[in-house]
Amino acid sequence: MHGRRRQQEREPTQDELQQAKQRVDRYRALNTHVMDLKATSVFTNDALDATKRLLEQNTELHTVWNYRRTIFTSLDEWQCQDTRQEMLDGELKFLLGIITKNIKSYWMWNHRMWALSSLPRPEWQRELGLVAKLLALDARNYHGWDYRRFVVAQLKDAATDKHEVDTQEFAFTTEQINHDCANHSAWHNRSKLLPEILAQRDEDGQLEVLQTENDLILNAIYTDPDDQNAWLYYDWLLDIQKSDEDRSRLLRNKIAAIRELLELEEDSKRPLVELVSAYAELERLQSGSVSEPEKKECLETLRRLESIDPYRVGRYTDMSRTLSKQWALGA
Amino acid sequence: MTMFGTNQLLVDKHVEFIQNLDKKQDGLEYWMTEHLRVSGIYWGLVALFLLDRPQALDHEQIISYVRGCQNADGGFGGHTHHDSHLLYTMSSVQILSMLNALDQIDGKKVTKYVLSLQQTNKQTNGQTTVCGDVWGEHDTRFAFIAMAVLSFFNTQDQLDTNGIVEYIRGAMNYDGGFGSKPGGESHAAQVYTCVAALAVAGRLDVVDRDRLSGWLAERQLLCGGMNGRPQKLEDVCYAWWVGSALDILRRRHWISAEKLVEFVVSAQDEKGGIADRPGDVADVYHTCFGIAGLSLVRYPGLNEVDPVYCMPRSVVRRLGLHKWQDNVPESWSQ
Repeated sequence: MHGRRRQQEREPTQDELQQAKQRVDRYRALNTHVMDLKATSVFTNDALDATKRLLEQNTELHTVWNYRRTIFTSLDEWQCQDTRQEMLDGELKFLLGIITKNIKSYWMWNHRMWALSSLPRPEWQRELGLVAKLLALDARNYHGWDYRRFVVAQLKDAATDKHEVDTQEFAFTTEQINHDCANHSAWHNRSKLLPEILAQRDEDGQLEVLQTENDLILNAIYTDPDDQNAWLYYDWLLDIQKSDEDRSRLLRNKIAAIRELLELEEDSKRPLVELVSAYAELERLQSGSVSEPEKKECLETLRRLESIDPYRVGRYTDMSRTLSKQWALGA
Repeated sequence: MTMFGTNQLLVDKHVEFIQNLDKKQDGLEYWMTEHLRVSGIYWGLVALFLLDRPQALDHEQIISYVRGCQNADGGFGGHTHHDSHLLYTMSSVQILSMLNALDQIDGKKVTKYVLSLQQTNKQTNGQTTVCGDVWGEHDTRFAFIAMAVLSFFNTQDQLDTNGIVEYIRGAMNYDGGFGSKPGGESHAAQVYTCVAALAVAGRLDVVDRDRLSGWLAERQLLCGGMNGRPQKLEDVCYAWWVGSALDILRRRHWISAEKLVEFVVSAQDEKGGIADRPGDVADVYHTCFGIAGLSLVRYPGLNEVDPVYCMPRSVVRRLGLHKWQDNVPESWSQ
């Protein structure tokens, strides 16, 4: 359904038509066979095998995944810890074999989670290693990151030192970011861990962590000033500061960084938008902290942005109107 | 340059495309998508209703088929004899309401099924999850579906709305967007489901309107199309996921409607149907959401779509479900 290019049309040959019909007939026969078994509540190893052959061809058949799980839990081998371990280890191997072709299949990932959660002796560390490999192939894979968070939650549950799990996971995001500071998924994950890391430290420790974080995000901003995510993360760091004084200080730092960037490229959209929002926030925190020339500069910047970034002209005119009213300036 | 000239939606071709979907039984694809047939019908029907050609498919046949997809537990499967799931329960209820046949099913049974998937006894941080089916996957999509489905039968106050709202709040991220569950990365489709859910719940106060509107507006790329999150490719379906969320936030004007229309129109297949992007194979999913996206920006000749329910506004009004609009904060409409 996604990303398939249209091919040049030509009439299929008789041979091709025959082959296509055979593929359809084979698939339909297998599907009917499995659904018949399910309808008659057959829970045997043969049925298990039939579901496997069908799911290998189509991982989206969630009804068949459901049936497969029901067969597993109905078999005698399920009742004994050791044979259950064996069955599910085999299941994990099967899933590993089809994972790269079906990396976006919700049902397949759900089944994997079920298999691990049902294991007498799940190896969560090994799972972590597996996900790390997958993310190395596709650093933004949604399902991969969701699954990683699931695995980490299990590790944390079983761990005696839960802080250590958070610390290691935080270090993983640092690694990802150092490899590519535009990895939004890594920054996102980091944003969920940072509060936990901060909670572990005393006041001085927290200041240290936040300073490091500030340096890290500024580095990302300088590396790619157009990366919208870096600015959003910076704003979030502002949000979690303890005092308005800290926020104002960081806003002034932000403005200084923007001015440096604008010297390199004066029509740079992102820094220009951020300039206006930084001043707006500064004035909101403390009325009178932004000068009249600075306010006029904001409105002029918004007018420039209407030409620089015309698709979003509606946003800039809204911002102009709002700020003009708030600051009691002529439009 | 598009090959269609400016703003040329091939209405007749798309109607034909949708009518022919059930005839493509020689292809493997038809059979491999059997498990979501009910959703396929929903997508086709929405497109037809918005194109103002609602009679292009046989209503009685569809109603009969959809009723056949209801299971003993009260839920609906994606096809006959397929296990119940909220995704297909939602599509089924939407289809029946568009065809004015909602009274042909027992709303109490459907309500009971949906309530059975609500996990009230597993609250963490005051959050109540809703599972997609008995196998336990939870996702903000299911939270939305639970609220939406029950609103059709006016039984939504049987849900733990406060707990569900907390779950959705927990899925909000630093960029103002929402993920699939608390901890999940922001994604435009999840933004739609969360914002729509909050609209139904009357809790749009939870949303960081400015931050989220800004994030959504940035989904529009130079080609006019939208992506689902930063750095990703444009895709026609985001005309809906992004457009509907912006509409609810009353910020539709923060993107270029003209450029979006150009993009969606250029993704049409001249033989009928709309693809994810120009030059790709068309499918009914992208046909539905492409047309819904065009309806949101008031493309001429299309019926208006409701941004919460993704159904014609006329149907939503008939069911009395348009009252979510009363819950939009007053300051947003200025």
